[in-house]
Amino acid sequence: MKVMEWCMYCGECAGVCPRSLIEVRETSLIFNEEGCKDCRICVSVCPINALSKEE
Amino acid sequence: MKLIETDVLVIGAGPAGSSTAKHAALNGANVILMDKKSEIGAPKRCAEGVSKEGLKKLGIEPNSRWVTKELSGVRLVSPNGTDVWLNDEQVKLPEAGYILERKVFDKFMAMDAARAGATIMIKTLARGMRKDYDGYIVSCECMDESFEIKAKIVVGADGPESRVGRWGGLKTVVKPKNMESGIQFEMAGLEMDDPDCIEFYFGSVAPGGYAWIFPKGGDIANVGLGIVSTYTDKTAYQHLLEFVAKCPATQNAQPVELNIGGDPVGGMLKDLVEDNVMIVGDAAGHVNPLTGGGIITALEAGMYAGEVAAAAIKEEDCSKKRLKEYEKICKKEIGDSFNKYLKTKEYMLSLTDSELDSIADAFQKTEFEKISTAELVKLLIKVSPKALLKLGKLF
Repeated sequence: MKVMEWCMYCGECAGVCPRSLIEVRETSLIFNEEGCKDCRICVSVCPINALSKEE
Repeated sequence: MKLIETDVLVIGAGPAGSSTAKHAALNGANVILMDKKSEIGAPKRCAEGVSKEGLKKLGIEPNSRWVTKELSGVRLVSPNGTDVWLNDEQVKLPEAGYILERKVFDKFMAMDAARAGATIMIKTLARGMRKDYDGYIVSCECMDESFEIKAKIVVGADGPESRVGRWGGLKTVVKPKNMESGIQFEMAGLEMDDPDCIEFYFGSVAPGGYAWIFPKGGDIANVGLGIVSTYTDKTAYQHLLEFVAKCPATQNAQPVELNIGGDPVGGMLKDLVEDNVMIVGDAAGHVNPLTGGGIITALEAGMYAGEVAAAAIKEEDCSKKRLKEYEKICKKEIGDSFNKYLKTKEYMLSLTDSELDSIADAFQKTEFEKISTAELVKLLIKVSPKALLKLGKLF
């Protein structure tokens, strides 16, 4: 997952991740990429388009 | 590795966490309140509105340090701009009493918890937790130090992205249709018709939610909206830019701050406790599904959580069965009303822009003296017969 520079770490992505793979820190996001099933729900809810899936 | 022992560990120092910590400490428990952020209350993720009645019910005296504006009414605006003005004598609406300065308010609530005896740890992140025979051991990080905290009860007050509940076996994942994406500018240079009233804008301006202007005194206001991603292909930010570009009040306004955050508006979660674990606030769905407001319910639920946690510690029984008392109180005091709000929201979201305009038109022609929720629904049914199906049995 690519986290854009403008991410504000609000945690909305982590709240909807069905596999709880996202850890939100004060100024960073940590994705557990191994468990990701590519559902992209986290991408779709981001209010500022700060996430994109690396192809 | 260093191990700290405590009765109650509260993770997250928003209003829910601070209230839990305060009331657990006041009732005799040893309490640690931790937050991953370096500044409690910042960045804000909220429109900052609370009801006067809510604060009064909780015994919290309004303080000029954190009240930025006292409101006297509400303006409801339909998609074509038809507006309905209601003052606080006519109708008691939630989130329509004071506008707070959350960065100050949240710190005050945490200070109250500290004065009650809680230990506060800031810039401290919970990384995970494992079950111990009489509680949980939580792995923590503060700056470059790693340590563990053993707690008989762990309270997850860690917001809509709650991991504590998940670690404790609770289902806290929010479905996308129940997660409202909130976004707002704090702006200067607002030109409002009445800067003592909050404004709500309904319809396609904010699919799945609504837009708002919450005045903060002078020409300053929070201007924002909440959308649900399943209702639109645009981001919340795009909708906000469109709203600000079109709204007459913001034509000469400039942003000084951008806030974002998810709002879990699907109602209160079914399960709030497990053995040695409780969840509270946004983590528990303590957010009014209709308005998205959650400060008062977070404080209220925190009070119940703290009281029950302290009692469970005294009784040396932190089992799920014992902690269920908190869940029952929340259901009665908060959850039941949320179910009505959920139905009302479902009805509101079923209305087209033209139906909203017709309702606003009918309301505009009505002389309101004092209106109850039931009277409001009767009027709605007159204008929009499908309100009878959706709301008739509720009020």
